[in-house]
Amino acid sequence: MILVSLVLAGFAAVTLWWTMHAWRTPETLASTRFAAPDGEHKLTFSLLVPARHEQAVLEHTVERLLLSTHAGFEIIIIVGHDDPETAEVAMRVAATSPGRIFVVTDHSEQKNKPRALNAALPYCRGDVVGVFDAEDQVDPELLAHVDHAFRATGADVVQGGVQLINFHSSWYSLHNCLEYFFWFRSRLHLHARKGFIPLGGNTVFVRTETLREANGWDGTCLAEDCDLGVRLSSRGKRVAVAYDSAVVTREETPGSVTALLKQRTRWNQGFLQVYRKGEWRKLPGFGQRLLARYTLTGPFLQAFSGIVIPIGIAIAIWARLPVGVALLTFVPVMPMVANLVFQVVGLRDFGEQFDLRIRWHHYARLIIGAFPYALVLAVAALRAVWREYTGKRNWELTAHVGAHLTKPAVAESGVTA
Amino acid sequence: MTVLDRPDVAVEPAGGTAGALPGVPKKNRTDLYLAGGLTALCLVLLAWNITGFPMASDDEGTYLAQAWAVAHGKGLAHYTYWYDHPPLAWIQLAGLSWLPALVFPTLLSVAGGRLAMLPVEAVTLLLVYVICKRLGMRRWAAALGLLTFGLSPLALTMNRQIYLDSFAVMWMLAALTLALSPRRHLWHYAAAGGAAAIAVLSKETMVITLPAVLVAMWQKAARSTTRPWAFGAFASGLALVGIFYPLYALLRGELFPGDGHVSLIGAWQFQLMSRSGSGSVFDEASGSGALIDSWLYYDSVILFGGLAATVVALFVRKLRAPGIAGLVLALVAIRPGGYLPAMYVVQALPFLAILIAGVTEFGFDKLRPARVWWRWTILGVAVVTALGFVVPHWYVGDRRALVANDNAPYQEAADYLRTQLPDRAGTTLVVDDVLWLDAVRAGYTRDNVIWFYKLDLDTAVAARLANGWRDVDYIVSTPALRQDPNSLPTVAKLLTNSTVVASFGPGSGPVEIRRVDKENP
Repeated sequence: MILVSLVLAGFAAVTLWWTMHAWRTPETLASTRFAAPDGEHKLTFSLLVPARHEQAVLEHTVERLLLSTHAGFEIIIIVGHDDPETAEVAMRVAATSPGRIFVVTDHSEQKNKPRALNAALPYCRGDVVGVFDAEDQVDPELLAHVDHAFRATGADVVQGGVQLINFHSSWYSLHNCLEYFFWFRSRLHLHARKGFIPLGGNTVFVRTETLREANGWDGTCLAEDCDLGVRLSSRGKRVAVAYDSAVVTREETPGSVTALLKQRTRWNQGFLQVYRKGEWRKLPGFGQRLLARYTLTGPFLQAFSGIVIPIGIAIAIWARLPVGVALLTFVPVMPMVANLVFQVVGLRDFGEQFDLRIRWHHYARLIIGAFPYALVLAVAALRAVWREYTGKRNWELTAHVGAHLTKPAVAESGVTA
Repeated sequence: MTVLDRPDVAVEPAGGTAGALPGVPKKNRTDLYLAGGLTALCLVLLAWNITGFPMASDDEGTYLAQAWAVAHGKGLAHYTYWYDHPPLAWIQLAGLSWLPALVFPTLLSVAGGRLAMLPVEAVTLLLVYVICKRLGMRRWAAALGLLTFGLSPLALTMNRQIYLDSFAVMWMLAALTLALSPRRHLWHYAAAGGAAAIAVLSKETMVITLPAVLVAMWQKAARSTTRPWAFGAFASGLALVGIFYPLYALLRGELFPGDGHVSLIGAWQFQLMSRSGSGSVFDEASGSGALIDSWLYYDSVILFGGLAATVVALFVRKLRAPGIAGLVLALVAIRPGGYLPAMYVVQALPFLAILIAGVTEFGFDKLRPARVWWRWTILGVAVVTALGFVVPHWYVGDRRALVANDNAPYQEAADYLRTQLPDRAGTTLVVDDVLWLDAVRAGYTRDNVIWFYKLDLDTAVAARLANGWRDVDYIVSTPALRQDPNSLPTVAKLLTNSTVVASFGPGSGPVEIRRVDKENP
């Protein structure tokens, strides 16, 4: 009991420490922003937009991409050979802007996002490959910022920010939004700095030759984005992370708790796969390997502690343990509650950055929803472990194969957080 | 503009200011040597004759006995712990006081226990210096603050004694130091919150100086992008460390008042509502008036000077944080009808010293003597006048602290108890708390050594004496025990029905060992 408490406390404290990375000092916070672009456009971009049963949102996304202020970019929409509805939309959009928009058809037997991306990789002509999801709202200024970031830092990879915005639509979306906020605003920067980074699934930009050297994405992995990040990290590639609330890519949360659960299961299982693949063992530094191990198993530890800590407290109060032992079981609660306090501050900051009106009941919802949300995460983690060890490794989870799905499937292909 | 994070390039703080900030001596070690040297000097003065002056007080004995109970696994106090004070200070004391007890077994335990205060005062002295520097004062001003705190006869007297307030003020100064951290690091703010919580759990009254820490943070984080996060961190630290005290009470089932057990909330109700006031500080005859007089007797300079500095400091931005601490401490002291504890001033002294130093520097800056000769003259006259007044005053006070031996009667009584009385294990003894620990250490059975207060106020103790006062064999009469005879009838009875077997010290306030005459009617 004592040992478990201390281990949990240590884990929670480390997580808290890293989560708060960007806000440690005003200087650290300043360093996480995109540098202001110098107005020069030196690089060319190939923007990949894989779309699957997403005819409803695809057109809008591509139209927004076309608004980009950058001079040199092409858009490659990737559709499956078995998905005529989306293909039709793609063709129609491509016809509006010949020479700028191309459509690539993915003929692979089993469809998933990494395979779709790999199908398009040979056609990319730009210096840099960028990935977006079909439902992303991309800021027109983004490419100019990324262009500058590549040149200013000499990086091989630039990860931009992604943010869920619809915090008000359900009880869990608030937590989901804040998770993204903390991940992109803060935690990823720490990873970039330490030289081990699980990349996000979109708004990620990689130099084309780097990507080709790495043989593109892993078509069998459920978290291809994370996997790519790990492989590039272990090859010593430089990753720059930059966040600017003005140019983040906006997304929506999954449409239901079930969708959230499945999305999370997939990420977790993907993390587990990446962990088992062992690419991270090639990282040069011991600290990096430790960070990798910790990050890839993180969702499981987090889920575990989210459940065990409250149970421990319940035992401490009702089982009449010796007072000293009982007090010790409360130690892990400290970082946990501190985390909640920071989430409250984070929610305020989130509202300010994105010009959203945060009301008192949102704060109340944040606090009340914390435990149920931890519960959802824990269930997702357990499901992931269960699926991985019973060999269920299909990409699209059962509910998302059908063509009727639009919104949940859209959200399924979000980023890793 | 800023630098992007990269795996192999450490991000430098904008402007590269970290090395040149005050209070963080990097290459230049002058601050370290200066503060360390002055602290060592003050410590020597503190330690010299620490056992002889001032006279051991009942409170010191109580805290030391509580620390002893903690160290020996006998709970949080040597009697039932009733949440009178949060226990963290004597838990810390327990960590320090075992060493002097081991090295000087025959020394009066309170006298030996005072040695445990030296590390606490050393830290406090250094913190005074660091705070001065972090408030933006120059080296000489910071040194002045340290010396004012270290050399004031009042501080020299109070800081030698075993008071919870010394622990509390040390932690609150640590919180202030962290809140003023030049790096404005999030975890420094969280640590500041934790330190503030420890301060309050060391002595609950310390909470009144919390606004000073908040103001310091507010000013320090001004125009910074991380201010809300800083306050979140501080609040987390404060609440999450502070919660452990009520949690302890809750887990023991002693949070809420109820029949047959002590409780945290019950104790608070008593402290806030029922405790009788000690009168107005402006009333010479009242308890508070007498207390203030005794402080002024030791040193009026730091009190009056500090109060005057407080008034000025409130109008100077960089001194506002300690200024607020000084103001709140003064207001609480003069509130009508409140209870003023004897050691209250301990909480105020470091703040007053910082204020005196800060306002002195402020005056110096306003005068800008470098420009004109007559300004130098004014400054010179001011300095000479101040020194001419302060030096003789402090010399007398400090000299007394270095030579007086006020604890000889107690020491002799302790020696007598240890060596002269037969059958110590079977003797029932009533003492004050200064001698309680000495008696227990001398081999008297713990349950048979009774702190005189408990005879009349603790039913459990009264129940142990089946035949009432006749079960007591000896009573050690000391000034503390004789202070308030009317409210303690059993003590009064013991004093009238006993005869002196040994007496130590002057006729006016002797320490007497008295045998109880059980045959008296």
